[in-house]
Order: sequence, then C-alpha cells, then structure tokens
Amino acid sequence: MAVAQKVDSGLQLVFEDGVNPETGETILRRKSFNNVKTTATADQLFAIASALVPLQQKTLNSIQQKDDLLITES
Amino acid sequence: MKKLELKFFNTEGKTVTISLDAPVEPADPAAVNTAMDTIIAQNALYSSGGDLVEKKEARIVERNVFDIEI
Repeated sequence: MAVAQKVDSGLQLVFEDGVNPETGETILRRKSFNNVKTTATADQLFAIASALVPLQQKTLNSIQQKDDLLITES
Repeated sequence: MKKLELKFFNTEGKTVTISLDAPVEPADPAAVNTAMDTIIAQNALYSSGGDLVEKKEARIVERNVFDIEI
C-alpha cells in the first residue's frame, strides 16, 4: 500500500486576458499564491479569491487549488 | 505596468506582500480594507514567519522600463 500526504497547497486565480486573434481562443493568465496552508478549505480559498478579484480589472475565469501530494509506502 | 500590493504583518512582525496585476484605479479604500480583513480572517495563508495577523499597508506601484541601446 502507498499513501498520499498533502505537503503543499496553492491557490490559482485564472483570469481572462483578451482573445488570441488567430485562434479566437480566450487567453488565460494565471496568478498563483503558493503560501497556502495544507489545511485550507475550498470555502476559505473561495472567500479569499472573492475578496481579491474585485480589486483588479480582469475577468475571473476560474479558481483553482493546487495541491502537492507526497506519496510514500506505508 | 501597475500592481496592487497588500502588505501584512505576520506573527513575527515581518512583512508579507500579496500582489495583484491590473488594479482597479482609483483604488477603493473600503474594498481594499475588506479584502485584507477577509484574508486575515480566513487564516488560510502562511508565511515563513507565521500567520498573517495584521494589516500593514496597501499601495499601487508602477514599474517603468526604459531600454537603453547598447
């Protein structure tokens, strides 16, 4: 058996930053916050993201949590 | 290129900065205050010197780059 343990967590705000004139696809720009506690919940990160987004001009595309899991043999 | 910098004190009294690109201008002090209060209240971020515990300051900074021909 192997176990996965969360060793690091991050928050990414994905913003829309215009449209690629050749492909017509929306250009996405990511803003990462790496100093997120491994115990942070979706509610906490949503609250932080919701507080930060109105302070800037870009349109929010999505809020993502990035977890690093360390896998070891148990 | 402008950035909004939100600066906090952590438990060790050191400054932790959270920055955002393309800030709304002019900045709404009430909205900035609320956002900083929310970040402290959620207590979901850490720093090398502990939790974020107090607001220090908020500011918009601009970086100007002038290329020099060499």
